[in-house]
Amino acid sequence: MLLLRPFSPRSGRRPHVGLSINRWALLALPAIGYLLVFFLVPLIVVSLRSVTEFPRPTTDSLSNYARFFAAEANLRVLANTFWVAAISTIACLAIGYPYAYLMNIVRPRIAGLLLIAVLVPFWSSLLVRTYAWQVILRDTGIVNSFLLDTGVIDEPIPLIRTTLGVILGMSQILLPFMVLPIYTVMRRIDPEYTKAAANLGAPPLSAFLRVFLPLSLPGVLAGALLVFVLALGFYITPALLGGPKDTMISQFIANAVQRGNLDWGIGSAMAVVLMGLTLAILFVASRFVRPQDVFGSLDEGS
Amino acid sequence: MGPALRLSMVGAAAAIFVAACGGGASTAPSEEPSLAPSGEPSAAADICTSPPTADGKTLTFASYGGAYQEAQRKGWLEPYAALTGITFQESEDSSNATIKSQVETGAVEWDVVDVGNDFGLDANAALLEPLDYTKIHKDEILDGFAGTYRVADITYGVVLAYNTDKTAGAVPAGWADYFDTAKIPGKRGVYDYSAGGIFEIALMADGVAPADFRPGGPAYPLDLDRATAKLDTIKSDLVFWGSGAESQDLIGKGEVTMSLMWNGRAYSAKHIDNKPVEIQWNQQIVTADYFVVPKGTPNKDLAMDFIAWATCAQNNAAPSNYIPYGPTNKNAQPAADKVPDLSVSNAATAAYFDDAWIVDNATMLEDAYQAWKTR
Repeated sequence: MLLLRPFSPRSGRRPHVGLSINRWALLALPAIGYLLVFFLVPLIVVSLRSVTEFPRPTTDSLSNYARFFAAEANLRVLANTFWVAAISTIACLAIGYPYAYLMNIVRPRIAGLLLIAVLVPFWSSLLVRTYAWQVILRDTGIVNSFLLDTGVIDEPIPLIRTTLGVILGMSQILLPFMVLPIYTVMRRIDPEYTKAAANLGAPPLSAFLRVFLPLSLPGVLAGALLVFVLALGFYITPALLGGPKDTMISQFIANAVQRGNLDWGIGSAMAVVLMGLTLAILFVASRFVRPQDVFGSLDEGS
Repeated sequence: MGPALRLSMVGAAAAIFVAACGGGASTAPSEEPSLAPSGEPSAAADICTSPPTADGKTLTFASYGGAYQEAQRKGWLEPYAALTGITFQESEDSSNATIKSQVETGAVEWDVVDVGNDFGLDANAALLEPLDYTKIHKDEILDGFAGTYRVADITYGVVLAYNTDKTAGAVPAGWADYFDTAKIPGKRGVYDYSAGGIFEIALMADGVAPADFRPGGPAYPLDLDRATAKLDTIKSDLVFWGSGAESQDLIGKGEVTMSLMWNGRAYSAKHIDNKPVEIQWNQQIVTADYFVVPKGTPNKDLAMDFIAWATCAQNNAAPSNYIPYGPTNKNAQPAADKVPDLSVSNAATAAYFDDAWIVDNATMLEDAYQAWKTR
């Protein structure tokens, strides 16, 4: 019970001087412990494996990395991974920004319904949703069957096993990660600003572009970062909806781990390369994005 | 929330209990005839009919789940449990990677594992126990299908299956027709794995004789440049599948006109899904799944007993009653009505993988495959 004694952050100071740790922070200990054991330790193991495990004995501890960068297919797939992640991010932004804007201007009840609509897909598994896309996009699927039956087309149009298919599948799954940060930031924008702009003679479009849009940009950056980083690790969706040229690096990692001579060394090296690039992006982005815009609450008092 | 949660937990616990006690509980140990002599020389001779009793013992069996493991369960696990009093625990997600992680971490949970043809050779020696051929009748196993660390438990075919609605009456005669999209138009399904037969079928389509594909045969080492050049001719028509279920779905729906697939999946598309799917046995690749024993299992001897029993002539064909996968014991007799659907019954013009070469060159093969595929 001692741990749970309320402590008011507003007072700014605890009643008696001592450790300046907020006791509430102790509640995070289980989470920190969990991350240490189940995230940090495996991460270290994987990193070590990439410089210690080789299919054939070697003295070059970086030989897995050398092999990775020597194979053109790896570089091609790595580049494609970033390309697909970028397109998915743009697609999510194109759909997500107007959606969040709509949520922001309608009555709270409607906004709640819109929120549920964007979250409901979260409650079914990624695999199920990807299979649903297969049913829609395949040559014998819903779209092509309809177009063939109505005589619009003579041959099925390629939807599945294309980059378009991958982008559709991925952006549907990633959309909530774009909508929520943008909506969070939009909610914090004082509606009086746009009204003031209008009072001063700005037409609606101009008021939006010069006042509202710049104020909402932190949410856009946060959402884009979240979506982009998550997209880099996608595995099932490109495997089921993409063609051979849409292969992403996670598929290569899975292949290395599960197949052939179980080459976990190079699989680990691939994972470390992807992680390193992701961290580099996060590092650069952290100069432009505030964490509270990514994970922030709807608390307008702050 | 409370009662519902508790109820589901009770259900789960009951399911685990039933699974853990299945089979073993139905045998009354006291009625077990104790005629198994303990003399070592005759033990091997008797193992097929009266394997050593193992009351109270548990053996963990890992295979690939679904109808396949169901057939192994009915054909082997249940009868063996009834004979010996042993209890089987099952895992339905066999994977080479899991064997590696269990052995490397010293936490070996699987005793007998059903693996594919790309595993269990000398390259994997660090992960596996050598099999006990004083118990297993090696001379009765099909030539080349019993190795130091693995023995084949079932055989199947990598076959050309076709959807008769899509071929409009045409019958593809072999892999050359699979590559001839002018003759029979439509997409072609193929296993998305370098060791799954894709290079072999390209070479057969290009004129290499099926008989050249065998362990140590002239088709190995594979001519990958020739194979990828042939594959390039139909690359845009290829649909890559990653699981047996996916291949069955693609051919059944007519999403592909033909597919390289496992004969059991083609059979299921026709007889379970009732789709217009037929098999061309010509130029099939006969291959197998294998039993292996992960290194360091505490139940090694029990595992060897079971493997020896399941590969005996009397017992080896039992799963064929439930799925069209054939025996590996030359003397095993599948039920007469099952014979026509088995790979080994249609093997006159078959090819065989050189698994040793494939496994020794796995990295090179996979790199070449991915380079071609993503190009």
